[in-house]
Amino acid sequence: MGKFIVIGERIHFISPVIREAMLARDPGPVLQRAREQLAAGATYLDVNIGPAERDGEDLMKWAVQVLQDEFDNVPLCLDTVNQKAIEAGISVYNRAKGKPIINSADAGERISNVDLAAANDAIVIALCSKAGVPVDNDERMTYCQELLEHGMELGMEPEDMWFDPLFLVIKGMQEKLPDVLEAIRMLTDMGLNTTGGLSNISNGMPPHIRPIMDASMVAMAMQSGLSSVIINPCDQRMMETVKSCDVIRGNILYADSYLEI
Amino acid sequence: MSFVPEKQVFKSSIDVLEIGTGETSVKLGGQSVWPLYAFDGPLVNPPRVGIQISDLGCAGAIAGIQDYYADCADIAAQTIRAAEVPGAEFVCLILEGADPNGADRSVAETVELVKTVAAACPLPLTIAGCGSAEKDAELFEALAEELEGRNVLFLSATEDNYKALGAAVVLAWGQKLAAESAVDINLAKQLNLLLGQIGVPNSALAMNVGCAVAGYGFEYVASTMERVKITALGQNDAALQIPIITPVGTDAWTVKESMAEEADFPEWGSREERGISFEVATAAACLAAGADAVLLRHPESVSTIATLIGLLTEGGE
Repeated sequence: MGKFIVIGERIHFISPVIREAMLARDPGPVLQRAREQLAAGATYLDVNIGPAERDGEDLMKWAVQVLQDEFDNVPLCLDTVNQKAIEAGISVYNRAKGKPIINSADAGERISNVDLAAANDAIVIALCSKAGVPVDNDERMTYCQELLEHGMELGMEPEDMWFDPLFLVIKGMQEKLPDVLEAIRMLTDMGLNTTGGLSNISNGMPPHIRPIMDASMVAMAMQSGLSSVIINPCDQRMMETVKSCDVIRGNILYADSYLEI
Repeated sequence: MSFVPEKQVFKSSIDVLEIGTGETSVKLGGQSVWPLYAFDGPLVNPPRVGIQISDLGCAGAIAGIQDYYADCADIAAQTIRAAEVPGAEFVCLILEGADPNGADRSVAETVELVKTVAAACPLPLTIAGCGSAEKDAELFEALAEELEGRNVLFLSATEDNYKALGAAVVLAWGQKLAAESAVDINLAKQLNLLLGQIGVPNSALAMNVGCAVAGYGFEYVASTMERVKITALGQNDAALQIPIITPVGTDAWTVKESMAEEADFPEWGSREERGISFEVATAAACLAAGADAVLLRHPESVSTIATLIGLLTEGGE
């Protein structure tokens, strides 16, 4: 098992600052958030450009070039429902530091993003869902199998499909959380990579509680085999936990300064 | 169908350290394969051999070493003679005479002596301290300035003096520095990180991760070196992608098997042969475990190990 991969989620169209910067093609705020996340320990940066129906292709190209130029070809996770925008982004993407990730496909309508990844030698995040939340792990694993078979038929390597078990929110679906951990274990035992938007589990909780809950979840998920996560790396408790767990898992050699690198 | 062995070449590599200048300069490291696995990929630089001499001359050395340097009138002549040993690619001067618990030579006296050695030495020079972190810091700061432009490797910075040495030896005077830890891989990584945090680049660093003679806990040394390479290459850990230099000669001649006189243990045979055997066996094992350079004392050990390296990396008869 390789070193745990953190995908920084803070370049997101939903943030007013980022939306404004993207619409105005102002690199400043985008680079600022990228810099903070990389300094905090992110490996990949997620670039969410929203639905981008009108000028998505131009916007994704711009974002990819601005970020890779500034940060030594930082690997990126291209995040939009606009497939043409993703293709446009990949057309200018430099793979020196890692393949692009497409965020995301599912076993339903968005399964065509697996095709997109296969056609462009990209990694794809594959949600173990079809329409709504899977009822149990039998359903999750059925979707996983569908996605995996589809990808392999198209010539993808299983290691390029990162399965998202869906990190369900505790407030409302608390009883589902053990299933999430079990799903990660099952996917890991199949030799598959896993990822997901982990902080969803603490949605709706008071701000001071969320980092505690998120850090606890990431520790338990890593113990279950989780190989990657999409989070805010500027959450110090989260990153301290990730690095400590990766030391305990043997993916990072311990040194007293391990939290600083 | 013939058998085609799988080649294991890593995407990461050990950084290259250069010591000395001009045609005689020596490069350590650079490989993306396990130690000595030249059949998997280029070693870039083969392991290197340095010859150790002491600022106290040959006093106390065994007869064979004394004989080799017998016609040397002074330390300068001894330096030249050491550099003539076949296989020696650089010289390592050990400042034993500066030891506060021994002859306790002053910094000024030592600087004068080292100037003589440096002027005479036709090969790249490395300088090993007296073992006192405090005194070594004083000595190395003065020597780094005095030897500016010679690209000298200083052994070693420890937990206690890395800040002063990193700043003076590397940042102020552009020399090279080895970081020393005693068979403790976590400390080895930590020292490199700390030196990195004060601005010392990997390309100015070597590591002495410790040494022990065969039979005296060598398995811990071997395991440490192997894990350093596994972490550096397998996990792409930049903090350990630094060449390892191991002062084998310093340890090899301190154990009972190489110290005991033949008169006391006649059944053990010649003391000199025993000592050389220990030095050679330990050095060969260090190279197999991951050392990118070894420092040896006896001229015969130097030549033997240099020949071994040549045979392993270039083939030949």
